[in-house]
Amino acid sequence: MTLDCFIDGKGLSLPVNSNKPLLQILTEDVGNRSLNSNCHGSGCGNCIVLVNDIAMLSCMVPAFRLKDANIQTYDGFSKTRQCRDIERAYQATGNMPCPNCYASRTLLIESILQGLTGEHHTGKEISMPGNMHSQIIGDIENIDEEQIGKELSLVTCRCMDIGELVQIVKMALSIRRRKNVRRA
Amino acid sequence: MYEELKSSTVHTPATLAEYGEIINRFPDAINYAGGTYLVARPDFYPSDDNKVIIDLSNIAELQRITRTDRFVEVGAMVSASQLIDAGRLVLPSILLEALSSIGSTIVCRQITIGGALCIPDNRLSLSTALAVLDAIAEIKIFMKNGKSVTRWIPVSRLYDKEGKLVNFEGRILLTHIRIGLEVGNYQKFLFAGDPFRDGSEAVILAFHAERSSNTLGKVQMCINFPRMAFFLSKEIIGQISGLTLPIPPSMIMIVTGKLRAEILNTNPNIGELPLVRALRMFESVLHDLNTLYLQS
Repeated sequence: MTLDCFIDGKGLSLPVNSNKPLLQILTEDVGNRSLNSNCHGSGCGNCIVLVNDIAMLSCMVPAFRLKDANIQTYDGFSKTRQCRDIERAYQATGNMPCPNCYASRTLLIESILQGLTGEHHTGKEISMPGNMHSQIIGDIENIDEEQIGKELSLVTCRCMDIGELVQIVKMALSIRRRKNVRRA
Repeated sequence: MYEELKSSTVHTPATLAEYGEIINRFPDAINYAGGTYLVARPDFYPSDDNKVIIDLSNIAELQRITRTDRFVEVGAMVSASQLIDAGRLVLPSILLEALSSIGSTIVCRQITIGGALCIPDNRLSLSTALAVLDAIAEIKIFMKNGKSVTRWIPVSRLYDKEGKLVNFEGRILLTHIRIGLEVGNYQKFLFAGDPFRDGSEAVILAFHAERSSNTLGKVQMCINFPRMAFFLSKEIIGQISGLTLPIPPSMIMIVTGKLRAEILNTNPNIGELPLVRALRMFESVLHDLNTLYLQS
C-alpha cells in the first residue's frame, strides 16, 4: 500500500506493507534514529511517538491505521517550544533520562503534560478506538502522583526512579503554566 | 526490508452486515481490534501467509456504550480508557480496578474490550473481573451458508480451564458485553505481576460477595493465572458461601488447603510462585472480610 502521512511536518508518500508497524516504518523507511526499541511489541516503552498529538507505542500501530496521520517523533518534537519546557525541567531538577530512553520519556512527559494542562490535540484523528485524552487537570500540589507514576512506568528503562520522574513532571508543569499565563 | 513480500489486504467494514459478507468470502481473515496482541506477535509482520485483515475500527455499532437501570452494554470496540472515563460512576469498582490495572493510559487507549477478551492464549484482568460479575457476551456466529446466529454466553464460559478461548463452530465475533449493575457490597480485585510481560508468574484474583450482618452470600471468585489456568471452582465458592463471619483461622487454613489442591488438580504445571501468590491473596480476602466484620 502507499501510506500518505506527515512525519515531523514533512508530507510523505511511502510504499509499505499494510501490516508494517509504525516503528519499522520510521526506522527502516524514514531513517529515524531517535527510536531505540527492540522489544517487538512486548511493551518496553522505548518507541513512543505522537500520532495526531496523542502518545502511542509505535510498535503497536500498523500502517493501515495511519492514513493521513500526523506523526511526530522526538526528532521533530525536539525542535518545538514544548520540548524546551521539559528540557528546562530536566536541568532544574538535575535529573535526566539516559540516552536510551531520553526520546521516549520526553514524549511521554509531554503526553502527561497535555493531560494535566487540558491542552487539546489538533489535526485529524486517527481511526483508532478510544482516541481520547484522559483529563487529569488540577493544581500542581494536588496532582495524582500515583496515576502519573503509573503513566511513567510505561517506559521500563531503569535509569530513573518514579519519584524523580514525578518531580520532573511537576517542574515541567509549572514551567508550562507560567509560559501559558505570560502568553495569555 | 521485507518489501518484496506481498502486502496483506485490509478490509474496513462499516456495519456488521458488511463484516459478515467479508468473513464469508475470506473465512481465514484476521479480526483486528486494538492490535496490542496481534501486532506483538512475531508472525504479524513480516508474514508469509498474508492473511486478509478485517479492521473493526469503523463499525459504529461496536463502539457504543448503553446503560439501562439494570445493566451496562459495552461494544466490543470500546477501549479500556473510554470505559474507565464513561463508567467511573456506574460501573462496579472491581471492573474499574481491573481496567486500571491493565497499564498506562497509552496502552488503555489502544486495548479494546472485545480484543482483551478474545486473546486466544492469555487471559487479562478484564476477563477475571467480568467472569466474577456474571457478565454475558454477545457472540455473532457467521455460518458457511452466509447466515449469522446471535448468542449470549456468560464470559466465564468463553474459556476452558487453562484459560484458552473455547472454539466455536463457524466464525465468531464478540460484539457486546452486558454487565449487570446489581452487584454485591463486597468486591476485591488483587493482582501480582504483569500479565503482559510476565504471564507465567502473574496472578489475578477477583472476589465478589454480598455481606449481610455475619453471613456471606452470592460469592463469586476467579483466580486467573494468565497463561496457565482460569480457575473458577464451584466447590470452593460453595464452601465460602456457607461460612459465618468471622471465619476462624483454622477454617481459613482448611479452605486454603483445598484451594491449593484444586488449583494443582486443574493444572499441575502451575509454578510455586504463582501458586503461593494466589493462596496468599485468597487468605487476605478472607482476613479482610473478618476485619470488616469486626469493625462493623
